[in-house]
Amino acid sequence: MSDDPYSPLVRKHFANTAHCGDLAGAVAVNIDEQGIRLRLSATVNMGHIQSLRFRAWGCPHVIAACEWFCSHYEGEPGESLSGFQASDIMCNLSVPVEKTGRILVLEDAVRSLGQRLGGGSAP
Amino acid sequence: MAQDFIYLDYAASTPVDPRVAECMRDCRESGYANPSSNHIAGRVSRANIERAAEQLAALLNVDPATLIWTSGATESDNLGIAGAARFRSHRGKHLVTLLTEHKAVTDVFRMLEKQGFEVTWLKPEDDGRLDPAAFAAALRKDTQLASIMYVNNEMGVMQDIEAIGSICREHDVLFHVDAAQAVGKVPIDLQALPVDLLSLTAHKFYGPKGIGALYIADRPGCHVEPILFGGGQQQRIRPGTLPADLIAGLGLAAEIAQPRIDTDHDHLKNLRRRLWAGIQGIEGVLVNGNIESGFPGILNVSVEDVEGESLLLELEPICVATGSACNSKSQEPSYVLRALGRSDLLAQSAIRFSMGRPTTEHEVELAARRYREAVARLRDLATAAAP
Repeated sequence: MSDDPYSPLVRKHFANTAHCGDLAGAVAVNIDEQGIRLRLSATVNMGHIQSLRFRAWGCPHVIAACEWFCSHYEGEPGESLSGFQASDIMCNLSVPVEKTGRILVLEDAVRSLGQRLGGGSAP
Repeated sequence: MAQDFIYLDYAASTPVDPRVAECMRDCRESGYANPSSNHIAGRVSRANIERAAEQLAALLNVDPATLIWTSGATESDNLGIAGAARFRSHRGKHLVTLLTEHKAVTDVFRMLEKQGFEVTWLKPEDDGRLDPAAFAAALRKDTQLASIMYVNNEMGVMQDIEAIGSICREHDVLFHVDAAQAVGKVPIDLQALPVDLLSLTAHKFYGPKGIGALYIADRPGCHVEPILFGGGQQQRIRPGTLPADLIAGLGLAAEIAQPRIDTDHDHLKNLRRRLWAGIQGIEGVLVNGNIESGFPGILNVSVEDVEGESLLLELEPICVATGSACNSKSQEPSYVLRALGRSDLLAQSAIRFSMGRPTTEHEVELAARRYREAVARLRDLATAAAP
């Protein structure tokens, strides 16, 4: 459908939230801004992200963005999180510009998670 | 093409009845002439329009001469409200309406405010109904027009049109009713109801889109000034070449609706009962409006702790609305539900299920199950994300 507000990737990640959940003993960040609530948690091994999980209350773009982020950053170096940019997700998932603020909330959460991992608090 | 969705958005629009579609097709083939033309082809076209006027007049129990064809309820509302307010402006400039009216009504009143009219915006009770006593208290010596909708398009709330209309008559106030959601679905006898102006549109009762009508009571002091100019058609009230095929479709849709209003009503009541039975057990779910006294074709529910846009997507392929269809691209919470005192979050989670003649029990039971599952999944996604 030509005017579908959701790209195929948004639909895919919204429908298949394999990374929804929590991790025992993980580093976690909670954020509640702009009408959305997020929780990201991560475990690391040898400086690399072993597992990522999320919980989210928000629109389909936010939920899909969380799933996309988790599925793309597992196995990456922990420090890669501090360079995370909302524009990557906006572009990949074709998020409409009016949702930018919400994706920036995710960016804040991811960078915050990166800082906490970099701080050596990971198990 | 086989339908791969379940349509529960009949308050937004209904499918054209196949008999109506056939009637319009015939009309396009044999009655295409301009009905204002005096040749024989024009007379054929005109006869189709006259028959449709009689069919609609029979549904409303009015004289066909009191009906003005328009492009739909939005134009009827504009013509009825702005036209009547201007016609009576030499007597006074105070107008009364309800905060929960359709945009086609509220936006006209906003425009009139900018033109020097004074509008009293009434707030409904918590269940969406307007207390006739509160309405009476809002009237003043200079009040000239009131507009209250029959069936609310978002919640299905039905107003006491008879009581409100009687108050208007007592105070010599013109009474306009937006009956877009009521005509063809609720018995309306305009000989008995004290209504001066009534708006309707065909596509809400299985007729075509793009055609509606405005009823203007034939009584002293009741008239409208035109809002369109360009010809002398329709008593110089609404110019423009009449679309005979669409009008014929509206007429037949009215004729089909009349004998089955009670049957349709019972059908919808059964469907709404089943739908509500399927979802009322969900924690935090609540009805917007009044399930006992509301129009049974609409069930509007909000639910706590669930984000509305995600709920709508999760409900696919059930076609429902988050509010007024005209407003559904907006991310703003429904102004109608906000007027009832709902929080932004509850208003944003509102889903309007609206059923119609073709809706089956199986469809509403499936919709109820899908709604339960959607709420459960979205709550699970958010668990522990709560502050």
